Amino acid sequence: MALEKDPWNIIITGVGGQGNVLASQILGQMLVQQGYIITIGETYGASQRGGSVMSHIRVSQRDQFSPLIPEGKCDLVVGLEPVEALRVLANYGNPGVLMLINTRPIYPMDVIAGNVSYPELSVVLKKIQRLSRRVWTLNATEIGLELGDPIFSNIVMLGALSALDLLPLHREEFQNAIQELLPSHKLQLNMEAFDRGRKAVQELPL
Amino acid sequence: MSILSKDSPGKKALFMGNEAIARGAIEAGVQVCAAYPGNPSSEIIGSLSQVGEELGIYVEWSVNEKVALEVATAASFAGLRGLTAMKQNGLNVASDFLFNLNLTGSKGGLVVVVCDDPSALSSTNEEDSRLYAKMCDLPLLEPSTVQEAQKMTRFAFDLSEELGLPCLIRSVTRLSHARGNAELGHIPKNRPHPRFDTSRPIIPQPVMENHKALHDKIRKCQDRFEESAFNLYRGPESPELLVVTCGPGWMYVREALVNMGVENRVGIVKLGTTWPLPRYFLIEHLKKANRILFVEEVDPFLENNIKEFCAERAVELGVKTFLGKASGNLPDIGEINPDIVTGAIQQILEVAYEPRSLQYAQEAAEAASLFAPLRELGFCAGCPHRATYWSVKNALAMDGRDGIVLGDIGCYTLGVRAAGFGQMKTCHAMGSGVGLANGFGQLERFGLNQPVLTVCGDSTFYHAAIPALVNARYNRSNFLMLILDNSATAMTGFQPHPGTGRTAMGAEAPVVDIEALCKALGAQVEVKNPFDVQDTTEAICELLQDREGIKVLILRQECALVRVKRQKALYKVQVNQERCFGQECGCNRLCTRIFRCPGLVGDPVTGKAQIDEAICTGCGTCADICPQSAILKETI
Amino acid sequence: MENRGSQALESCVIQKDLCTFCGACLSLCPYLQSWKGKLVKLDNCDLAEGRCFAYCPRTQVDLETIHQEVFGQSYLNIEMGLFKQVKMVRASALSLRQKAQTAGVVSALMEFALKEGFIHGAVLTHRTPDHLPHGRVIRHPDEIFSCAGSSYVASPTLQVLNQGPWEDTERIGVVGTPCQVLAMRKMSVSSLKRTTLIDRVTLIIGLFCTWALTYEPFMKYLKNRVNGALIRKLDITPPPERLLKVITGDDHMWDVPLDEIRPFIRTTCGICLDMTSELSDLSVGTVEGIQGWSTVIIRSDLGEEIMSRAEAAGIVESQPLPEENFKHLREASLLKKKRALLTLKERGELEDGYISLSHELIGRILSEAKEAGS
Repeated sequence: MALEKDPWNIIITGVGGQGNVLASQILGQMLVQQGYIITIGETYGASQRGGSVMSHIRVSQRDQFSPLIPEGKCDLVVGLEPVEALRVLANYGNPGVLMLINTRPIYPMDVIAGNVSYPELSVVLKKIQRLSRRVWTLNATEIGLELGDPIFSNIVMLGALSALDLLPLHREEFQNAIQELLPSHKLQLNMEAFDRGRKAVQELPL
Repeated sequence: MSILSKDSPGKKALFMGNEAIARGAIEAGVQVCAAYPGNPSSEIIGSLSQVGEELGIYVEWSVNEKVALEVATAASFAGLRGLTAMKQNGLNVASDFLFNLNLTGSKGGLVVVVCDDPSALSSTNEEDSRLYAKMCDLPLLEPSTVQEAQKMTRFAFDLSEELGLPCLIRSVTRLSHARGNAELGHIPKNRPHPRFDTSRPIIPQPVMENHKALHDKIRKCQDRFEESAFNLYRGPESPELLVVTCGPGWMYVREALVNMGVENRVGIVKLGTTWPLPRYFLIEHLKKANRILFVEEVDPFLENNIKEFCAERAVELGVKTFLGKASGNLPDIGEINPDIVTGAIQQILEVAYEPRSLQYAQEAAEAASLFAPLRELGFCAGCPHRATYWSVKNALAMDGRDGIVLGDIGCYTLGVRAAGFGQMKTCHAMGSGVGLANGFGQLERFGLNQPVLTVCGDSTFYHAAIPALVNARYNRSNFLMLILDNSATAMTGFQPHPGTGRTAMGAEAPVVDIEALCKALGAQVEVKNPFDVQDTTEAICELLQDREGIKVLILRQECALVRVKRQKALYKVQVNQERCFGQECGCNRLCTRIFRCPGLVGDPVTGKAQIDEAICTGCGTCADICPQSAILKETI
Repeated sequence: MENRGSQALESCVIQKDLCTFCGACLSLCPYLQSWKGKLVKLDNCDLAEGRCFAYCPRTQVDLETIHQEVFGQSYLNIEMGLFKQVKMVRASALSLRQKAQTAGVVSALMEFALKEGFIHGAVLTHRTPDHLPHGRVIRHPDEIFSCAGSSYVASPTLQVLNQGPWEDTERIGVVGTPCQVLAMRKMSVSSLKRTTLIDRVTLIIGLFCTWALTYEPFMKYLKNRVNGALIRKLDITPPPERLLKVITGDDHMWDVPLDEIRPFIRTTCGICLDMTSELSDLSVGTVEGIQGWSTVIIRSDLGEEIMSRAEAAGIVESQPLPEENFKHLREASLLKKKRALLTLKERGELEDGYISLSHELIGRILSEAKEAGS
């Protein structure tokens, strides 16, 4: 599948502990298997303890690009958390960016402590809408909880992403990647999470 | 089977930079690998430990970086290939040995990988380790891509053996933790047997002779680097501007030039062998332009060395304009990124370039600042450190003498922030908390009335605290040491250590008992569960009254992230909404406002707390501190 | 009266060294606690209004309002507050007096009140073997005597009143110092009170008090003074002797002149206007020059009832208080008021200080109070 532009840049963003890094690894693996040249840049470490986490994914058919996306050059944001999705637009957004967002908030400590209020979700989404080309939303965490663990939300989001048909991210490639990267007893639940994500997007109004 | 151990030459896969280094070492036939965890280097030995047994490689987590380097070097002295990896601070710890090793030389290929953390994203400091190469007179390689990291590591072993010197490889976060395409090479089958030639002592003496020999080796290395494919030039024959770069700067610069449309105006000299400098290679390309921009992180290492070089060759090269950190074109602190590089080149060439409309940029920035609240780092839900600091806070308030809490490195370093109620007051290198406690504990004779405490993690204890404790006993210093034993090297990714009962390769290991060790050192030792907040607080209060000698209070409770993988929760926790006072007098949101566990969410209107099931790990500590007994914990 | 919060409590009282350590602000919330005789602040509370400030006997004391609430009358009796009778009383049973080591009046009355069901629980002051005083809730009459005897050190007794735990139907009796009694009356009139707890404090016996000591520095000095010996008993002798008698473990008796321990008197005692617990149901203190008897001032209807029933039951016996003693009592009480007002004036706190009195009353106190011997 030829890319709309080369490199095509994705940012997966969320809060430390949401499985951001694993999601980007699976995504990268799925694409490398199909011959793409992928670079993923991660920021983690101390940020795992409740801080914002970002994975930059460069997808190309011609060259190995840097692990950091230049200003304004993001093509797709996969937001595992709503305000993180908004936050990355400050540096990397542009009017043509696409947004796939998990609507379940994770409150920063200051909000939990009551010092600062978390913005209204509708306001955040409205801002994101103004700053992007198109927005898809789903409550991936809820689906994850239904499957037994909120950690599955990242896989649900990958499933949702695959249903958008922006890149060749089919079920088969996902299964191969999961089998490559995770122990075998985790396969079934992850496949279910992936399928539920796909379904959630397919059921969105057009 | 992991991709790391696959013997399928030619297979392409997505590798993390650190994994690529590990793979390069495997393909070079490494046999002994040792390290202490340190972000961003941990995955090198971490990934090797997963495949060590399968591939017949010995992999260990050592207690500190000096020992790790010594372990790898022993392999080299015995004719095997050895690898060690560390973060920038680790090289400081290992440097004493390194400064002797350069004089003695090594035998089997020995590679020292140091991973710097520009901008201190996960470090206490920022440092440019490349300077060690110049100081020690050792070869230095800097990979720019994941594939190159793999190739360079393979090459480094050969180079090391050829020269009889350890070879340094310097990586940075943006390479170590990046993933990129790499192609697998061959895994060698034959490997030498170890033997140490006892007829030839390995000592730095006679120092003058060996120092001279070292310089000869480096000159030989310099010749080798002239041919290296890791150094290259890309661009026009007569560029307006020449950019000299290394590491991930290579990719940033390339992309910047394409985005600005100035590839035909700017030439790039990419250096992979950054010490010693390849003289003739440089002369050839530096001639091409008069303006030279250095793109590197963190210190002006290439910048200064090449300026030196240009001064020596001034007649040949002519007058140059050097642009970089000294000139202010690039920041002299922090990591670089595509935008910083773009900005610098844009300004120098006076290019009109706008990656997106200014209006969009302003609108997006404003929206983010107004509607994306910042995320303060904090302890995970159920973290024993939160409970520990709660007890420390209360005990010090009760004690009333303005106690000093000296700190160290680990997850508990977050104790300097609101997460740890601002209790920790100093933080420097591994083991510095106890070191400083030694000093403060001697100041009572001058009138210091403040009690002295130090907090130290279990992994940190094994790394650096023991000599300081011996010192405290011997010199009779007076302080209370809290050892936060969560049975993990948590901050770096849960690597095992001498207290966890497992080795890097998964084998059972004897536990080096902290309690017994401290007792043997003559300390007064007590062990408590930090989740028993009342008990712990009283214990600290009492121990602070004692004016003689070292007191050690071991606060033992498993790291929440480790515990949660095994069993979901210790308790089922719920907040009774009727009994909860919320923001009313009698509580004023103690648990959400001050205790600050992410598992407790406050209602913005009533201030009442609720448990967030998605986050709570069921430690039950909040139930114990609730002033109205409104939080209930049920054993599961 | 404007309600304020813990930060105001800190700046107006604690940081000015005016805390009486009565305990009224303790165990209401997790932020203020007591530890080894000290008030400890564990964390900051940022509420604009709090019970700690409202209950504190050193904030916004409007004697007129409180007096009206307690007695239904204006505050006019500046000498020693409102009273119905003043008597000289002692516990009838000798064994009881020996057990209490005093006239035993407070212990006898409290025991009686518990036995007769006037109250279900008594809040008294207990001392640890190390002489650290603290509150204790007694529900068994037999346990009353564990709290007998005077403490010269300020005790945060009201902390245990706040803490309980209490059943909703329990009636409570409290023995306290004048500042503690004042704090309880403030609790009654406060708009911030959350429960019926203070309404169920149906009996308040107040003690006479001239000053109280701060535990830690006092004990440190004293331990040093007796060369580290174990301190078994403390007793302050009445004038003119003015000694602190210390009995140590080896049965040695030490005489420590009171002047030596004056540095450990709490600063706040210097601005206290109440020597005889003017707001209690009954006030009990020594009788100058007469050992084995207590002065009892009966103030309220309930105080009168308890006293008469106890006497009728033979629990206590009384005599009229000699005229000379009664005169000295009134003079001493008024003099304490005068000294407090002068101290407040010196501190610049007479006008906007913690206590609000009419100019007229202030004038009368200053003019009518007589120095000892004049």
